[in-house]
Amino acid sequence: MKFQGVDYYCIDDLLSTEEKMTRKMTRDFMEDVIKPLVVDAFHSEQPVEMRKFAPQMGELGLIGPFIPREYGGPGSSYVAFGLISQEIERVDSSMRSFAAVSAGLVMFPIWQYGSEEQKMKWLPAMARGEKIGCFGLTEPNVGSDVSSLETVAAKKGNKWIINGAKQWISEASIADVAVVWAKTSQGVKGFLVERGTPGFEQKFMSKKGSMRAGDVGELILNDVTVAEDSMLPKSGGLKSPLSCLNMARYGISWGALGAAMDCYETALNYTGERKQFRAPIASFQLVQEKLVTMLIEITKGQLLSYQLGRLMDAGKAKPTQISMAKKNNVGVARMCARTARELLGANGVSLEYSPIRHMANIESVYTYEGTDDIHTLIIGQDITGISAFGGGR
Amino acid sequence: MNMIVCCKQVLDPEAAPSTFKLDAANNRMVQPPEIKPVVNPYDEQAVEAALRIKDKDKAANKITIISLGNNLARDVVKKPLSMGADELILLEDPAFEGGDSFAVASALAAAIKKVGQFDLIFCGRQESEWDDGQVGSGLAELLGIPSVTIAKKAEVMDGGKVKVERIVADGYQVLEVSTPALITVSNELGEARYATLKGIMAASKKQPVVWKPADIGMDAGKVGAAARKSKIVKLFQPVKEGKCDIVSADSPAEAASLLAQKLRENKVI
Ligand SMILES: Cc1cc2nc3c(=O)[nH]c(=O)nc-3n(C[C@H](O)[C@H](O)[C@H](O)COP(=O)(O)OP(=O)(O)OC[C@H]3O[C@@H](n4cnc5c(N)ncnc54)[C@H](O)[C@@H]3O)c2cc1C
Repeated sequence: MKFQGVDYYCIDDLLSTEEKMTRKMTRDFMEDVIKPLVVDAFHSEQPVEMRKFAPQMGELGLIGPFIPREYGGPGSSYVAFGLISQEIERVDSSMRSFAAVSAGLVMFPIWQYGSEEQKMKWLPAMARGEKIGCFGLTEPNVGSDVSSLETVAAKKGNKWIINGAKQWISEASIADVAVVWAKTSQGVKGFLVERGTPGFEQKFMSKKGSMRAGDVGELILNDVTVAEDSMLPKSGGLKSPLSCLNMARYGISWGALGAAMDCYETALNYTGERKQFRAPIASFQLVQEKLVTMLIEITKGQLLSYQLGRLMDAGKAKPTQISMAKKNNVGVARMCARTARELLGANGVSLEYSPIRHMANIESVYTYEGTDDIHTLIIGQDITGISAFGGGR
Repeated sequence: MNMIVCCKQVLDPEAAPSTFKLDAANNRMVQPPEIKPVVNPYDEQAVEAALRIKDKDKAANKITIISLGNNLARDVVKKPLSMGADELILLEDPAFEGGDSFAVASALAAAIKKVGQFDLIFCGRQESEWDDGQVGSGLAELLGIPSVTIAKKAEVMDGGKVKVERIVADGYQVLEVSTPALITVSNELGEARYATLKGIMAASKKQPVVWKPADIGMDAGKVGAAARKSKIVKLFQPVKEGKCDIVSADSPAEAASLLAQKLRENKVI
């Protein structure tokens, strides 16, 4: 039985023919090719092999869909990028992490802050899925407060020498290139550090309770020497890495709804079939209330994402609006995952059903790309004009 | 080579069977809004068969898609374009509704005559709503061209003939057919390719050509339901009844012979 979509408010009527076709294409690929692999990958913490699947995703145009054609991307709308994220995360958040990191955190900064040579070297190969990137901002002592970066890059002749460590980095162990953010005498700069560079270590982190179907790890930079042209020349200051986060956060706001939809759909089907007290459990008021709450929240989230997508397409979206959609929709997904888990009873704790996997994954999504709290503070500062981040800010 | 592929929009055959609805009084299928339409899966494979020929020489081969129906969803009927087909003709009019295989084949034949140039026509072996599997052969008959049904492979040979592998009960036949010809394609051909985002963007620039009955020289009062040669006497959803009888006995041997006896009584063996 195939997923037919969640569309209580006829939001499909607002989508273009191409956007609907893009969603269907992504849905078909994810259902046929990736979905059969994620439960085992999650269970064993052996990530889905992106070396094998990235080229296929690239051919379909799922990696960096908004990257313009001159750099090998399809140049699609932001709404289409959102729908792609939704369909990917409906299957597993770690796959959407891969897509969001590739598009928002690696291709976007190279496209925006890179030189023409850097763009030509990396963007088409990444769009084809032949090269994989990662984004190193977070450090052992640096999470929400990115202004306190400890990784440093020092200029020596026509080389840069980078020292530091990056932690909790998606695609860390598989990446061919890392966008590493470091403090320099010219402020925060992005560097392209290639796999195999002496002093550069890429490690896989195991024993995670979340995102177990994906690659998350560490980058260690020990006197890593890179050429002058490894720096992203147009990057400068914290606004550069933060602008990348905006792109990825946008994808997440749609993606989280995908996970929520899968949980809702699973719960709706299950409660219609599961009988207790001689009746389907969906016939009980308490169960219906839970299903309806999920549907209402998903529908509101869809409208938020849709309008945000159109603002992105018109070049009018504000980062604070992206924060609102990320915060709200990840919250919706978290609620839906828990509620669906609950409605499935004991079966809800089995990986044979998706809600517990989504539930575990969404905890990462709640924290990364700006925690839920941080987005509250971003919006709070926007509407009051007062920073409540505390400390030195 | 000019290729034409006939593609039908159908209700997703993979939707939950419980969501299919019938209007029993009028012997009709009802379109429930919760089931999304798709391209008939066999027709997608027909598109794939044509694309495999086109892959060999993109410039020398052209694929035109023809879809017949009413209120056709653009995101569905444009899918073959996003897979790599060149043009899309829609026979779209309320009058086309309610036709049987004969009515559909007649309208398609008229449209193909209007297109004029063609070497190969591909159809799916059958469509998933009625599973009649007659449109392909009927269309070939009306156009007066040879047809090969249930193909798993079609290759253009030097000299222009087409080599077709055709599924039979215990294997496959290898046939050669001269063009123009019609081939119906079976699932043994293999998976149809996915649309790609680039293909979708390219398809967005192509507007389908829409033909009404008059455009293909047909009278709107004589197509669709009005052109039917067959009549549905009764349409119903069979009710499945599951009954379970447990055969219990003291030994496995005794249970087996009791089971055999019951199966014989019920004329199963
Ligand atoms: C699976 C996964 C993948 C990741 N991938 C990447 C990646 O690819 N690249 C990358 O750079 N990073 C990545 N991260 C890291 C992620 O971005 C950080 O975890 C996130 O920024 C939060 O930082 P932290 O974990 O250090 O939490 P902290 O910043 O230490 O926060 C801990 C708690 O304190 C709260 N808090 C912090 N500051 C305030 C404040 N001012 N007011 C109120 N509350 C506050 C937070 O909301 C949170 O609840 C990933 C994380 C995970 C889990």
